[in-house]
Amino acid sequence: MSENPLDIFVEESQELLQEMEDILLELEEGGDAEVMNALFRTAHTIKGSSGIFGFTHVVGFTHVVENVLDRLRDGEIQISEDLVAALLASKDHIGALVDLAIREEELSEALSHQGDGILQRLTGFQSTEVEGASAQAGIPAVVGGKVERESGPCVMTDQWHISIRFSEDVYRLGLDPAPFLRYLEKLGEITDVTTVFDKLPSLESIDPESNYLGFEISLTSDASKTEIEGAFEFVREECTLYILPPQAKISEYADLIENLPEEAELLGVILNRCGALTDDELQIALHCQAQLREQAVPDEASRLGEVLVKQQTVHPEVVDVALEKQAKVRAQHNTAKSVRVDAARLDKLINLVGELVIAGAGNQIQARRIDDEALSETVSGMSHLVEEIRDHALQLRMVPIGESFNRFNRVVRDVSKDLGKAIKLEIYGADTELDKTVIEKIGDPLMHLVRNAMDHGLELPEQREALGKPTEGVVYLNAFHDSGGIVIEVADDGAGLDPEKLLARAREKGLVDANQELDTKEIYRLILEAGFSTAQEITDLSGRGVGMDVVRRNIEALSGTVDIDSELGEGTTVRIRLPLSLAIIDGFLVGVGESSYVIPLDMVQECIELSEADTQESHGEHYINLRGEVLPFLRLRDVLSHQASEHDREQIVVVQVGTQKAGLVVDRLFGELQTVIKPLGKLFRHLRAIRGSTILGTGEVAIILDVPTLIHRAVGERQTAVNRPVLQTVDNEQGARLH
Amino acid sequence: MTMTNQSELMVKNDELMPVIGKEKLEQSKYLTFVVNEMVYGIDLGHVKEIIEYGALTQVPLAPSFIRGVFNLRGSVLPVIDLAVRLDKPSQPPSNRSCFILVEVKGASEYFECGLYVDAVDAVAQIPDSAIEPPPSFGVDIRSDYIAGMGKRNNEFVILLDMEQVGAVEELAESMKDVDSSAQIEESAHG
Repeated sequence: MSENPLDIFVEESQELLQEMEDILLELEEGGDAEVMNALFRTAHTIKGSSGIFGFTHVVGFTHVVENVLDRLRDGEIQISEDLVAALLASKDHIGALVDLAIREEELSEALSHQGDGILQRLTGFQSTEVEGASAQAGIPAVVGGKVERESGPCVMTDQWHISIRFSEDVYRLGLDPAPFLRYLEKLGEITDVTTVFDKLPSLESIDPESNYLGFEISLTSDASKTEIEGAFEFVREECTLYILPPQAKISEYADLIENLPEEAELLGVILNRCGALTDDELQIALHCQAQLREQAVPDEASRLGEVLVKQQTVHPEVVDVALEKQAKVRAQHNTAKSVRVDAARLDKLINLVGELVIAGAGNQIQARRIDDEALSETVSGMSHLVEEIRDHALQLRMVPIGESFNRFNRVVRDVSKDLGKAIKLEIYGADTELDKTVIEKIGDPLMHLVRNAMDHGLELPEQREALGKPTEGVVYLNAFHDSGGIVIEVADDGAGLDPEKLLARAREKGLVDANQELDTKEIYRLILEAGFSTAQEITDLSGRGVGMDVVRRNIEALSGTVDIDSELGEGTTVRIRLPLSLAIIDGFLVGVGESSYVIPLDMVQECIELSEADTQESHGEHYINLRGEVLPFLRLRDVLSHQASEHDREQIVVVQVGTQKAGLVVDRLFGELQTVIKPLGKLFRHLRAIRGSTILGTGEVAIILDVPTLIHRAVGERQTAVNRPVLQTVDNEQGARLH
Repeated sequence: MTMTNQSELMVKNDELMPVIGKEKLEQSKYLTFVVNEMVYGIDLGHVKEIIEYGALTQVPLAPSFIRGVFNLRGSVLPVIDLAVRLDKPSQPPSNRSCFILVEVKGASEYFECGLYVDAVDAVAQIPDSAIEPPPSFGVDIRSDYIAGMGKRNNEFVILLDMEQVGAVEELAESMKDVDSSAQIEESAHG
C-alpha cells in the first residue's frame, strides 16, 4: 500500500488536534500527570512531524505552545480558565496553520495577526528560559540530575553512552538513521559504534524496506544531554533512545539493559565491547538486573517502576517514561490489529457484495423455477452465506459515533460562555457504531439540534434557580441501536415545549388552519416546519426558522426520521432514527400497474387488503378505518401517474414516517427483499419521491420510493389547498435564505 | 513489455483522435441514425455502444423525454427518447429500434445515457469541408442542438451537438418544473 506521507500527516495532525481539544476540555475539570503528558505529546508530535515537512509556521507557533504545555506538565504553572481558553485558541490556530501549509498557501496577514494575539496571551505562561525548556521537552530522561549519581557504584568512563533502536518503519516514514549519527559527530567524537543486528531475520524473510538495526554509541563530547537528545529530535517517535552520561551508575546501565529489546547477555557483551562497561562492571550490572527481574511481578510491569523508585535507583520521572513506553507498546499492539484501508477500496468491495446479492437473488429465482431439491438446497445455503458476507462487509464501514459526539464538548463550552448559561454535555452510547457515510452527514443536523437545545431549550441560570432546578443545564447526546436502525437522541433538561404556544404560533404563521385539530406529537412536529421559530428574539445561533426544517430534510435525505418528545418544564428530546447503512437496505417489493417499486421495509408496519366495502364506506375520501383509527391513504397508481389497470383486490401497505401513519395503495405485494441501492445519478436529482433504484434478481430495475417525501407532499397539498399564498411566501423566503 | 504498451497506447490514441482533435482533423466519423423518419448524425466519439432495444423501467413523475431506466451490467442508466427531446412524435418500438449509449461531458463529470432511436443507419466519414453551418431557419429543431449540416451522398444529415442535446444540467433542471407542476396539477384534482 502506498500511502502518501502527507496524507498520513494530515490525518494524524487532525487526530492529535482533536485529542488536544478533548484533553483541554477535560482539564477544566482537573487532570492528572498522565493527561498532562498526553497533552504535551500532542503538541510535541505535531511540531515534530511538521518539522519533517518543513512547515515552519506550524513549527514556530507550536513550539511556544509546547513550551507552555511542558511547564504545565512539570507543575510550574497551574491550569486556569484563561490558560485553557488560550490553549484552545492555540489549537484552532495550529489547525489553521496546518491547513494552510497543506494547501501550500502563504500565511495571510489576518492569520499571522491572530497568531500573534494568541502568542501574546501565552506569554504570561511561558518560561523565561524558553530555549532550554523546549529542547528538553518530551525527551524521556533515563538519568536524573547529578545529585543522584552520588550513591551507588559508577561506571568509570568519561564517555557518553547512547543506545538507539530505530523502529522498523523508519525508512518508510522517509527517515534515514545514518544522518542522525553523522550529526552526532558535530557534537563530539564518536569513539565507538557497535551495530546491533540481532533483529535481522534470515535472508529469505528480510524486507529491504524495513530497518532492523540498532546502535550502541560511545561519544566523547562536552555537549549537554539536551543537545545530544536534540540530535534525535525528529526521529523521537520512531526510535528507542537512551543516553547515559559519563560516569553513570551501573544500575542505570542495568536499567538500560532491561529496557532494550535484546537479550541481556548479548547487550552486556556489546556494551563491554564498545567500552562502556568493564568486565566487572558488567557482572555487577547483570546481577543488579537479575535482581530487578525477580522483584518485578511479570504481569504488572508497572510494579517494576515502583520497586525501582523505592530502591531510589530510578528517578520518578524515569518511571513515567517507562510507563509511557509501555503505553506506546500497547498502542502499537492495537494498531497492529487494525488495518488502514483506502475508503475507495472499501466502497468497491461493498459494491461487489451488492452485485453478489443481486446475482444471488437471480440464482434463487432460477432454482425455484427448476424446482430441483438438491439445487434449492445448495442455492439457499449459498444465499445464507451471501447474507453473512453482506453483513460483514457493511460492518467494515462502521465506526463508533463517539468521535462526532466529542466535538460537541467544545461547542457546548464555547456556546455556554456566549450565552451566559452554565451547560454540561453528557454523552452516552459513544461506542454505538454507524456507517461512516451516515456519520459524515449527520454532523450538521446534530450541530443544529445541540445549539437549539442550548439556545432555546435551556433557561438562564437565574430562571433555573427560581424554578428550583440546578443552575447548570444539561444537554444529553445519546445513541443506541434499535431494531435494525440507530437512534440518536439530543435532549436537554430545559423548559420544554409548550404545545399551546406552538399551536398559536403556527396558526399565526398560517401553517395550521384555525379549526384544525392536532395532537401533541403533531404540534411538536410543527417546529420542524419551514418558517417556524418560537424564539422571541433571533440570536446568532438559531431562531431563524431555517435550522429545524433543514435538520428534518437532511435526516430524511438519509431516509431517517425525526421525532420530538417534550415535557413542559422538564425538557425536550429530539430523537433521530437512521438506517444503519445507506448502501443496502431491506426492502418490500410491491407492484403498481406493470411496474415494481421498493418501499424501505423499516417503514412498513403491516399490509391489509383494501376491500370494496372500505372504499365505498369512505365515499371516495382517501382514508379508511383501521381498527378505529383514521388511516389516510395514497393511491400510488395515481400519485405515480400509472395507467389505471383493473385489479380486483388492491392492497394497502401501512407505513409509518415519524409519528405519521399512512397507507399506500398498491396492486400487488411481492414480499421482502435485500435491496442494493443504485443511485439514479445527477439527471434525476430534482426528482423527489424517488430515493434511488435497485436491480431485481431478474435483472430488471425497480424504483425505490421516498416514502417520507410522498407523504409530506400529500400533507403539503392539503395545506396548499387550505392556505396556498402563505405557504408559498414562506417557501420563497426560505429559498432565498438557503441560496 | 514497454514496447507493447506503447503500441497499445498508440492505437488507443488513434481511436481517440476524432474526439480530441475534432477541429484539427480534416474529417470526422459520425454515427447516423433514424428518428421519426429523419436521418441524424452524432460524433462517433460520444458513442460507447449500441444496445438492442429491451424493456425499460419507467421512472414515475419524470418528464416525457425520459423513456425509463435500464440495467447495463450492474449500472442503472437512463434512456432519453430522442424524438421527444427534439420535439417530434415518438415512434413505437420496432425490431430496428435500439439504444445508443453515449457519453457527454457535463459541467463537472461525464454523463452517460442511452438514446432511444428508431434505427441505426451507418458510420459515415464526413469531411469538415462537407459540413455546412446550420441554417438560420427551415429546420424545425432548436438551432443550438445542431452542430452542422453534413453532406453525404448529396443529402444533408443533421449533425446533432451532443453537448447541447444531452446537457445533463438542463435536463435535470427541467425535472424540477415537471415535479412541481405535477404537484400543482394533482392538488388541483384533489
